[in-house]
Amino acid sequence: MHHPFWGVAIKGGRRIDTAETGLHRARKTMVIATALYRGSHLTAGGAVVTQHQRDRLFPWLALVAAIVATALIWFMAARHRRLVSWAVGLDVLVIGCLLPFGAYAWGGARTQESIAWVMLLGGSASAMAAVAFGARLLAVAVMLLVATHLAGYLLVEADASVTGAHLNAVVFSAVVSWVLTWYLCRQGERVDSANRRALAAEAQRARFAERVAHHNALHDTVLATLTAIARGGVDANTSMMRERCAREAAYLRRLVEQADDREQASELRAALEESVRAAEALGLRVSARYHELPAVPGEIALAMARAVTESLNNVRCHAGTGHAFLTAAGDSGRLIVTVVDRGRGFAVEGAGEEGAGGSAGAETSGGSAVRTAPARRSGIGLDRSVYARMRGVGGRAFVDSAPGEGVRVELRWPA
Amino acid sequence: MAGVITVAVVDDDRMLRDGIRSWFAGVEEVDLVACAATVDELLAGPGEPPDVVLLDLMLRDGRPVADNIRRLRAAGSRVLMISVVTDRDRIVAAITDGADGFLTKDQELSVLVEAVGEIAAGRTAHSPELAFALAYDRGPARPRLSPQEREVLVGYASGLTLKATARRAGITANTAKYYLDRVKAKYQEAGRPTYTKIDLASRVREDGWR
Repeated sequence: MHHPFWGVAIKGGRRIDTAETGLHRARKTMVIATALYRGSHLTAGGAVVTQHQRDRLFPWLALVAAIVATALIWFMAARHRRLVSWAVGLDVLVIGCLLPFGAYAWGGARTQESIAWVMLLGGSASAMAAVAFGARLLAVAVMLLVATHLAGYLLVEADASVTGAHLNAVVFSAVVSWVLTWYLCRQGERVDSANRRALAAEAQRARFAERVAHHNALHDTVLATLTAIARGGVDANTSMMRERCAREAAYLRRLVEQADDREQASELRAALEESVRAAEALGLRVSARYHELPAVPGEIALAMARAVTESLNNVRCHAGTGHAFLTAAGDSGRLIVTVVDRGRGFAVEGAGEEGAGGSAGAETSGGSAVRTAPARRSGIGLDRSVYARMRGVGGRAFVDSAPGEGVRVELRWPA
Repeated sequence: MAGVITVAVVDDDRMLRDGIRSWFAGVEEVDLVACAATVDELLAGPGEPPDVVLLDLMLRDGRPVADNIRRLRAAGSRVLMISVVTDRDRIVAAITDGADGFLTKDQELSVLVEAVGEIAAGRTAHSPELAFALAYDRGPARPRLSPQEREVLVGYASGLTLKATARRAGITANTAKYYLDRVKAKYQEAGRPTYTKIDLASRVREDGWR
């Protein structure tokens, strides 16, 4: 059973979860936009200081302080994938509100021209505040900036038109940046919710495909059997009928357990189930148990299932028992599948060859590699099909047996 | 073990009860003394409590499984859980609550009789399905297992015989069985936290039946 949709859904899920969402992208865009804005102000400031104020210490200190504050904001933004409000708040207070007074007091800025570059930084501070803050905090920040900048320009006795234009710029930097943030975030959220819906639809389709497959199987087996018995004229107590009932009960049982496990329906499980059903159809009783199967690529699921089919075939033909056990479990990212029987077993030859010793062993711990050999050494038909198949997809197979103790085939991926 | 083991079945499926009755009819070492649809019905019945009660894991009598197990144990019986499907969480809970084994209902008669014998002798009826449920239990209250216990548990859960499990782990079959018993004991310890003096008193009483 191959579910093309499911593969897409899993891959899609991974993409949506680990990579950035639309909201992330929106926030990142605003970080970049405000960074460019601040960058333009720093460039202007740098030009003024190097050309006209290079003899004084304070302008240099002010420039360094502005660069440090900006760097802090970017560093925090890179870590948290959004502007961090306390860093922006610090910038608004120190660079936006206090620096103009410092420039006046110690920087000798007594004219509107000499203080203008410091004032400019307030504009980019208010733009960043609009991205990082909520409405109330933003209003406080903008009012603070307007008040301090008004005071600053009054101190240097600037033209009313210059003051007005600057305060206008401070306020509208915030407004423009707030509107942009709102719009981009809304678009981002829409993209995200559309992605989520698409993902859910894919999963739904995969479930539907699986249900159809189950319905078909139920129709061909359990329903057909029950209907035949209900109609009468069939002796339900023949060994053939009992075997058939047992087989179909086993199928139903696994179906119910799958629902109970609350585990994701997976391609791997479906593929393994197919192998089990094929073996059951040939008269082998299979106790199959699954636990937290990891999501593996389709070709791995297929290779595993084929190796399982081969191993079950081997039980059917050589073990002298009608019962096999299949377990499949995820173990910290690694998939371990075992096919075990309690049949006659065989003496494993050549243990220790082909690197059989060290890495072979049980799922839980090392040091249990007693007479564990690669499948190749078994010499009972498991050779090519199981061992080479697992190797071919980057996995490994081990066969362990002793006379009278059955056979244990272990398949693992990755190796 | 001396004499015949008395067994009762509690299952709300009449067909299954009838099936088990006809199954056990041919077994000499087991005497099926009672069949009931609920634990209440069984306990209300006449006669001595049976040695072993086969209790359906998903009985629809409205009583919690833990309750049923406790009352059966209080009456002096030991409990083997049986079920059509292996609901792993419920199996683990039943073991924690004092059941001594678990089997699916599709087992062969010989497996069932052997399990009954083990439990009647005061031991645990181990089965791959029980081992699997315990090996991959992710419940918050699960006890810590030692690496050896885990290795044996996982090996046995994969379907290996006890002998093959032991050989792979490099230990004797007896030691392997001891590890499996210890896992069950750890679960039952974890399931009986002693909080109050009353609890402690009832614990002592419970221990008296062991």
